[in-house]
Amino acid sequence: MGKNKQSEIKQELQKIPLKQDKDFLSLILLLFFNKIMNRKHFFQTLLPLTVAGTLFNKTKAAKDFYQQPILPPVLKAGDSIGITCPASPVDLIKLQDCLKALNNWGLNAELGDTVGKHWQRFGGTDEERAADFQKMLDDEHIKAILFAKGGYGVMRIIDKINWDKFLQHPKWLIGFSDLTTVHLHVNGNFDMPSLHADIAVGLSDDPTDISSTSLHDLLFGNRIEYSIAGSTMNREGFASAKMIGGNLSMIQACAGSKSDIKTDGKILFIEDVSEYKYTVDRMVLNLKRSGKLNNLAGLVVGAFSNPKKETEEAFTQTIEEIIFDKVAEYKYPVCFGFPAGHVKDNYALKMGVDYDLNVSKQSVTLYERFLSDTPLPTAPKMMVQDTLIQVDPLENR
Amino acid sequence: MITIPPYLKKGDTIGIVCPSGYMAAENVETCIKTLESWGYKVKVGSTVGNQFHYFSGTDKQRTQDLQKMMNDGGIKAILCARGGYGLSRIIDDLDFQKFKRSPKWIIGFSDITVLHAHIFQHFGIATMHAPMAAAFNGEGYKNEYIASLKNALSGTAANYNCAAHALNKVGNGEGDLVGGNLAMIAHLIGSHSSYKTRHKILFLEDIGEYLYNVDRMMIQLERAEMFKHLQGLIIGGFSDMKDTTIPFGLDVYNIINHHIKDYKFPICYGFPVSHEAENVALKVGVKHELKVRKEGVSLKEVW
Repeated sequence: MGKNKQSEIKQELQKIPLKQDKDFLSLILLLFFNKIMNRKHFFQTLLPLTVAGTLFNKTKAAKDFYQQPILPPVLKAGDSIGITCPASPVDLIKLQDCLKALNNWGLNAELGDTVGKHWQRFGGTDEERAADFQKMLDDEHIKAILFAKGGYGVMRIIDKINWDKFLQHPKWLIGFSDLTTVHLHVNGNFDMPSLHADIAVGLSDDPTDISSTSLHDLLFGNRIEYSIAGSTMNREGFASAKMIGGNLSMIQACAGSKSDIKTDGKILFIEDVSEYKYTVDRMVLNLKRSGKLNNLAGLVVGAFSNPKKETEEAFTQTIEEIIFDKVAEYKYPVCFGFPAGHVKDNYALKMGVDYDLNVSKQSVTLYERFLSDTPLPTAPKMMVQDTLIQVDPLENR
Repeated sequence: MITIPPYLKKGDTIGIVCPSGYMAAENVETCIKTLESWGYKVKVGSTVGNQFHYFSGTDKQRTQDLQKMMNDGGIKAILCARGGYGLSRIIDDLDFQKFKRSPKWIIGFSDITVLHAHIFQHFGIATMHAPMAAAFNGEGYKNEYIASLKNALSGTAANYNCAAHALNKVGNGEGDLVGGNLAMIAHLIGSHSSYKTRHKILFLEDIGEYLYNVDRMMIQLERAEMFKHLQGLIIGGFSDMKDTTIPFGLDVYNIINHHIKDYKFPICYGFPVSHEAENVALKVGVKHELKVRKEGVSLKEVW
């Protein structure tokens, strides 16, 4: 049997979800047909039989398989990760800690043309920033894109981007804050997951830096299993649904556009920074009046950090109370204080994937429901004093 | 077909309320006296001078005060004493049934934009984007902008002129006039109160925003296709603009212009609608003609 055919079959087999019984059943089928067919015809029928075998397993695994969204592939040592500035300007010097981290993770950092560029308050003109992002999206060699910084500027270029090549060869798009526009756009328009996590300027190889370690873990194939402290304001309950969202101001800014969030049946995540309470009130009210809060599976409220103080005495309600007021009439679980957003420990979150969310006043757990169907490589070990973090490719299936 | 509330005659009563932020009663005095000097009676609502933290009352109190004025057949116009923030919280609790049957002028701007948009979109009733109580204070009651409110209330058709601006785009446009505060208009997008701007003349003003936020809001309006089929665009005052540590690098009008300069409709900058003294009374929902020429700009109410 030709080597080509063999590898073809191998590829065919690898495409279906890894199931422990897959090989066994394929073997049974092969043996069965081998017995009843003339040996002369055996190899001629091998490929179609193998396909038949995989189809058999496909239908068995179909329920799980078809519920699983396409996930961008996990990274492995030696992969290239692109860094681009879609919004604020970022000089190379601000990326030094990040580059150290990426190097430690075994990744090859490819700096975009916009690194170091300055134009008005952006990292290059709109055309330059769009072109840089586009180039990285289209380059199959680049396995993930880490945005250098948010700030403001993504909205100015999002409609210039062509997503065709990206959709054929998806990759993780990593960032938060202003980058929420990217998350909303790809999650909403293409059902493509993305990574809500710290941006390049926030990353480091400090092993206690959870923003960095949690991002690393997700990039290299870990499944999310977060367990956080509860809050007296939490509304207890369970949700099993896709999570979307990000920065509340950006969610608001995308209203009415092609990137507009569709929240029906989803777990909505919101966070923000440096906003007046009345602005938070107004934005959540707009979500409500746009019908975006009445059919959620759950609401996860992240950090609302560094709130602005008004000169006149404004709301005496806390941000949590302001938000809870708007969803008090519904039944879905609501959790507060989720450690993601503009905080030191910005836990990386996959947006656009399914989770099991369990909320009580004492604790909250967020478990990712499915993994990528791409086989996991052996994860590189992070050289940390006390802990060796290693992912067993089969362990979390 | 827009419904125009009856214009006021001498002896008519104007109600004054605070639907949003708290306002001290003494800051409404000059406004009351001036309205009375115009020959109107004034009925002061319970929210004027009332305080509940930032607001002029609890949501319930503010709803009830405005509702009472809306339902009161004896009141021919409601002047909102101030804006601030708070209308969004009560708009869905208001009952417009009686108001629909016997419309009256709703006067105000800033946060009151919520009412302008909501009433126009839902009921097709004209409202008045105009100065509020604070504008009367000091010598304000004597100026041409307060006079424009007086004229508008008594039925004078709008006929405004303003100086040309270097960024203006020459042309003529005719359509229903809609608009108000940019931040409020952006914040209404997606809700059922949001303006539909097809074939309209849109006017925008704002105060105290970060320049990057004005840029962002312009993009939001653009992506929501609010500029796409306009008959004209009026950019009023954008005062007290703030900038970040890395400066934007452009003044506010140029920031705005970047997003709209390629459209074909006439655009006018520097029109006297703003949070400053320069704030003429504009009838939202009523058909107007905008003429932008090299020599100057005119905005006229048309029938």
